[in-house]
Amino acid sequence: MQQKAHQFNPGNQRWLEVLGISMPLCLSYLPIGVACGILLHAAGMNFVLTFLISIMVFSGGAQFILASLLVIDAPISTIFMTLFFLELRYALLGSSLSKYFRSSSQKFVLLFSASMNDENYAVNYLKFATDKKWTPQDALMVEHYSLISWASGNLIGGLIGSTVTIDLEIVDFALTALFIYMIVMQMRSHLSLIICLTSTALSLFFLTLTKSTLGIIIATLIASLIGFAIEDWVRKHSKDPKNAWVLKRLFRPAMTRHTVEDRQMLSEKKAQQAAQVEAANDSGEE
Amino acid sequence: MDTFVTNLAVASLVPSHHNTVYHLIVIVVAAVAAFLPRYFPMRFFTNRKIPEWFNEWMKYVPVSLFTALVVKALFLDGKYQYFFDQVNALGTNVTVFGHASYLIAAVLVAIVAYFTRSMLSSVVVGLVTVWLLTFVL
Repeated sequence: MQQKAHQFNPGNQRWLEVLGISMPLCLSYLPIGVACGILLHAAGMNFVLTFLISIMVFSGGAQFILASLLVIDAPISTIFMTLFFLELRYALLGSSLSKYFRSSSQKFVLLFSASMNDENYAVNYLKFATDKKWTPQDALMVEHYSLISWASGNLIGGLIGSTVTIDLEIVDFALTALFIYMIVMQMRSHLSLIICLTSTALSLFFLTLTKSTLGIIIATLIASLIGFAIEDWVRKHSKDPKNAWVLKRLFRPAMTRHTVEDRQMLSEKKAQQAAQVEAANDSGEE
Repeated sequence: MDTFVTNLAVASLVPSHHNTVYHLIVIVVAAVAAFLPRYFPMRFFTNRKIPEWFNEWMKYVPVSLFTALVVKALFLDGKYQYFFDQVNALGTNVTVFGHASYLIAAVLVAIVAYFTRSMLSSVVVGLVTVWLLTFVL
């Protein structure tokens, strides 16, 4: 695998390497971007405005919802509130990433947060957590690559919008599929599965109660707090927290067990065993 | 070809309703709504030490959030009410809670994501499934 990457990238250049990492993201953004452009065109925006909005807002969900709000002639105050509550989730995502930007300048944080998105957040979060060499610069590069592909998709969609008709029901699902993919990627322990189910019940309740995306935020906050509380309780009350059922890693098929994270865990385990053996030897000598 | 492109450009410049100024205002408003929650919390926490409990809590935010977003797409309609789908299965009408084709596709996407860990194949399988199901359901 690494040899193959070497063939494509003989100089081992960082921008190419990062481009390779963001490629799956860019490839899935492009068709969704085209769909979003077509949708915004149908809502009455020309391709210049579509391009502008894709750069300034850069959020699939927000742009899809904006298109539907424009169609029903919603007042600007409603547009602002709906989008604000939808985007409020980035407050949580942004602060979870902030620990990796300690040494970055404020201008950098401004630039980074402006083009943060669910999907490139997921990529960057995983990279920061598992790859020690991952830098804020790389993370910004991922964001800009995904922004380029998203904006080009929107531009293309805005241009061809008048010539094609698409089944919105199908395109709408692209975003959902992306989120399902990310849920599966986030599934690490039994606890994350429990949280997923908890969040399902909570969001069903709060979405119909609030009749707005505010329900998503309430459900997210409560479900994540429950997860935090359970983990905290297990860590304090279990004799062997790492092997407690709730915190145990979920079963995964053998062919997908080669992530950076897995290798890290393996080397940690080996180091631990080595330390134990050494400790046993030491006590034996005494 | 050239005239086709210009015609296309001119056609897309004319909005079907509303005017450009209104759309520009909407774009600025949307951009502000998108920027505020992204920038300020992140800025706040890069200067300060994040408490340990906050980090532990943040671990469970993505999975909760994505689940909530998926639930909204699968089980609710545009007015945030529970959606019930009428499906004709084997000659009998069945009422399903949620969008039937989305539910089937969602399960397939999850399976593909679980076994391949590939974003692109998961999304493509999802879209193709929904598309195919429009002929069946």
